[in-house]
Amino acid sequence: MVNPKAESKRPPVRGGSGQRQEQKPENPSAVRKIRKKFRVFSARSGMDLPFLFLILVLLVIGLVMLFSASFANALYRHGSSYFFISRQAIWAVLGVVAMIAISYFDYHHLHKFAVPILLLSYAMLVLVLFTSRDINGVHRWLELGPLGQFQPSELAKFAIILIFAHLISLNFHRMDTFRYGVLPYLIILGVTAGLLILEPHVSATVILVILAGVMLFIGGVRLRWFGIAFGGAGAVVMYLVLFSKKFSYANDRLVAWLDPFSTASKEIIADTWQTRQSLYAIGSGGLLGLGLGQSRQKYLYLPEPQNDFIFAIVCEELGFIGALIIIILFAMLVWRGITISLKAKDKFGMLLGIGLVMQVGLQVVLNIAVVTNTIPNTGISLPFFSYGGTSLVILLAEMGIVLSISRTSSIEKT
Amino acid sequence: MAKGTTIRMWRRTVFLLLALNVIGFGAIIVSLVRLQLINGEQLHTMAVENQMQNTSLNAQRGTIYDCNMKELAKSATVWKVVLEPAFITDKNRDLIANGLSQILGMDKEEIIKRSKKKTYYDELKRKVETDVKDQVLKFKNDNNIGNGIRLIEDYKRYYPYGTFAATVLGFTGSDSQGLAGVEQQYDSYLTGTPGKLVTAKNAIGTDMPFQYEQKVDAKNGDSLVLTIDEVVQHFLEENLEEGIVKNKVGERGGAIVMNVKTGAILGMAVKGDFDPNDPFTIADKTEAARINAMPQGEARTTALKAALDKQWRNKMVSDTYHPGSVFKMVTASAGLEEGVVTENSPFYCRGAVVVADKTIHCWRTYGHGAETFVEGLCNSCNPVFIEIGQRLGPERFFKYFQAFGFTQRTGIDLPGEARESASLYYNQNQLNPVELATSAFGQSFSVTPIQMITAAAAVVNGGYLVQPHVVSQIIDDSGNIVKSVDTTPKRQVISSETSKRMAAILQRNATVGTAKNGYLPGYRIGGKTGTSQKTEVKIRTGKDEYIASYCGFAPMDDPEIAMLVYYDEPHGSSYYGSAVAGPVFAKTMEEILPYLGVQRKYTDTEMKKLDVSAPNVVGKSVNDAKNTIVNSKLVAKVYGSGQTVVSQVPEPGKTIPQNGTVVLFTDTKSASNTVTVPNLVGMSLANANKAAANAGINISITGAALTGTNPVSNSQSIAAGAKVSPGTVVTVGFIEPDQVE
Repeated sequence: MVNPKAESKRPPVRGGSGQRQEQKPENPSAVRKIRKKFRVFSARSGMDLPFLFLILVLLVIGLVMLFSASFANALYRHGSSYFFISRQAIWAVLGVVAMIAISYFDYHHLHKFAVPILLLSYAMLVLVLFTSRDINGVHRWLELGPLGQFQPSELAKFAIILIFAHLISLNFHRMDTFRYGVLPYLIILGVTAGLLILEPHVSATVILVILAGVMLFIGGVRLRWFGIAFGGAGAVVMYLVLFSKKFSYANDRLVAWLDPFSTASKEIIADTWQTRQSLYAIGSGGLLGLGLGQSRQKYLYLPEPQNDFIFAIVCEELGFIGALIIIILFAMLVWRGITISLKAKDKFGMLLGIGLVMQVGLQVVLNIAVVTNTIPNTGISLPFFSYGGTSLVILLAEMGIVLSISRTSSIEKT
Repeated sequence: MAKGTTIRMWRRTVFLLLALNVIGFGAIIVSLVRLQLINGEQLHTMAVENQMQNTSLNAQRGTIYDCNMKELAKSATVWKVVLEPAFITDKNRDLIANGLSQILGMDKEEIIKRSKKKTYYDELKRKVETDVKDQVLKFKNDNNIGNGIRLIEDYKRYYPYGTFAATVLGFTGSDSQGLAGVEQQYDSYLTGTPGKLVTAKNAIGTDMPFQYEQKVDAKNGDSLVLTIDEVVQHFLEENLEEGIVKNKVGERGGAIVMNVKTGAILGMAVKGDFDPNDPFTIADKTEAARINAMPQGEARTTALKAALDKQWRNKMVSDTYHPGSVFKMVTASAGLEEGVVTENSPFYCRGAVVVADKTIHCWRTYGHGAETFVEGLCNSCNPVFIEIGQRLGPERFFKYFQAFGFTQRTGIDLPGEARESASLYYNQNQLNPVELATSAFGQSFSVTPIQMITAAAAVVNGGYLVQPHVVSQIIDDSGNIVKSVDTTPKRQVISSETSKRMAAILQRNATVGTAKNGYLPGYRIGGKTGTSQKTEVKIRTGKDEYIASYCGFAPMDDPEIAMLVYYDEPHGSSYYGSAVAGPVFAKTMEEILPYLGVQRKYTDTEMKKLDVSAPNVVGKSVNDAKNTIVNSKLVAKVYGSGQTVVSQVPEPGKTIPQNGTVVLFTDTKSASNTVTVPNLVGMSLANANKAAANAGINISITGAALTGTNPVSNSQSIAAGAKVSPGTVVTVGFIEPDQVE
């Protein structure tokens, strides 16, 4: 939280002028003052143990399921059953270490990083358009050499959450105006969303827009702007679906969604293969599941069962009961995270926490909705479960921020 | 102003939290309930089906045997080359496409395109022979390609004798389904039941740790034993083909050999047929060239299809024709049975009869004058049969027409038998005087050749209408009989007494009557010729086109074999059945009757003209040899100056006409003498004998020469101008040129 005096006395800052906090530490005494107020490490009060516990439980279940889901694929495709799990486990350990470390870090320092991270995310989103491998006309992944692949959209989501929390907390009293409450966010979001659409990456765009909406909504933007936004978004989506060639791939997915068992054409059969195999897996699970490790569908029927469709294997092996428990764990995580955020000691922490937790919640819901063919197939990974080292580390780091918020939150932490 | 969460933020957050939990988590839980608890079992079943690899085990198609278990059609193992695009990577795509395109002779780009499909199974080429399969296998091993190319066993149909009996056998399509002939008719027996192997497999087809295997063996198809006799069929086809060339036949020809007592078809041939190994190629070279010269387009496609349909069409079963005078044996049978006529009933032919103001001519327009019924048949005299038709009346005539099976399909076990159609004939109400008169001698209605020979069989076999058939037995894989054909006659249509009388009349006809071109000494041949105008062609194009046919039997004292020879649109020197079809009948019968075990029995007249076999006089003294030869009713002629015979022509045991010359060589030098074969065609018997004697050769005569009144030679077995040893026997065929019809 910024200096409350500054917040009340100084003229409100515009989006780009958050640097004023960075100018202050020029004065050594001010630095000390800030250090006193915002310790780099806020270990004084503990972190929220239920939230940490939920994260670790989900992470462990996620790793177990990743191993179970991936070993056949790993063996056939990479020659070793441990190909995916060994890599993911290393990343998980790194991620947990990072999470704990970050939880000691005073999240208020993130004010300083809001703009640089946003600019960095823009830079990477532009970079990915030109450098990444073209996979069927889609550019989403940056190659990071030994670190593997990285999706700039992951960073973009965090950047948006952070900059929104930053700006909203600074301009909280003017959130009901268009100039301070709507316009800056529209510009920021518009750039990111525009770059994502160029990739194109519809699912990330959707998540991003929903997250931004959530934060603005909580931040106090007038409801009529949401009305206008919904109307406008609806019109844009209609236009894109109906007229844009670029979105024809999304269109095909809509057709495949409506009838995954359609045998109308070879193209549709090929398109719906993944969804069909996912539904077979989920249905095979029944109430109690086939048992851990007993999935049949992971034997190359379900393509890349370690990625976006891992939950289908979870359903097949653990059944409805197991899947329900995992969903409840996620719901509890979201609930606890939001409770932490609501009790954060300032609006920045509150908004940041809600943004990060909602991001997890949204991904879980959308991922499982895709796996169950409740919504059309689109690439959304399942937090803590899906394979992907960099994204797991980013996720755990973000959870570390929530834990950091919990340290100063007035919540009961046991 | 609170530092932390305001009331409104709190409210809005709680609202969102509830929205996410209720709508979001609620929706996915509802979806899971629906998928796992409500539709779970159904999806599970689908999943299991999906995970079970169902490998079809091909059943081997049954073999087709002739009546002596000679294989006429059999299946052999070939291979299917299948691409597994899912396992082809960008690394080996080019290698695989290159290798396969060379081995299989396919377009490389096409293979590359197909290797990018999102599938695990793409049939690249079927019916690949084992040597090509071995090449593919070697290519796979050499380049260490595990998955990506698969070889699956398949079967291919072989017809070892090419075009032999193609019309009866038919052929199979790309999925081994029968498309014509017995292949089509008995497809369900021949096919068998494919088996299957059900195993739990992962999506790339290797085993999953969950063992599940269920095997249902393929049941190989049943085999057919035909009534067709390879030897009979061989001679039939050979002679039929020769007749087509000789008589410049326009619309193909066909012939059937049938056992008159059982209806078993011993041979059935249509020439202008196809090679069942390659049925989609036009066998007729001129026709193929004509179609090849056509520009691509609809006209060419139509022409190609028409040409294929034509070569596949079984003329003997699917085509109808006016039987013409061959039908007179049916009218005659009806007349004798009903007692409206006897052998000696007198008739008088003026060359034409007026029926209901319409003049109907006899083929011999100046008439046959006074004749008995038998003479009338032997003359194939139309007015005689018009009168018999009139005596029978429409009702009785139609009764026999029906009884002899002309209003129904014969039910032969071959596909495509011409439809039963009332438009092909007149029933008793439609048989007005003119229709009755023309029907009585075989014009104005249409029948199929198989109907005609079946009715003809009933005329001579004691009066029984039999069921013609080409399959005698169906046997399974292990040789057990699945089905045997019932040869019980359908009905008796005339009394056996009448049948006997008809047999005698027909034998007389083939001995001295119009059918005598089919005569063979000793074999008691009976027969009837037929020449019918294709009236529909006349109406359509104004051209005179004919069908020349000959239907005969042997031996007439106990008829066994019937043969119908049929030429559609002969354009040679004659279009008459006696001249076109008769010699083919005679030649074929002469070749097949000894094979079928029919003994020659000679009449006294025949004995006098009988050929003898040359005695062996080699090594004897010239005088002894001369005596032996004279005792054998032969003439001896000596070449050389030696004392003993060193060689002789004809060689010992060879047949030679009575009073023929045996040439004796007394030294080796004289044995190298040769004489030139003279032209012996177009001569009377006396002239032919004289020419042969002058040239120093012997002639053996066949056809109408022995019984005919004015026989003329029309063929010789060794061409004129050839150098042969003195005394060589040249066979000369005779026909009766003026005894036509």
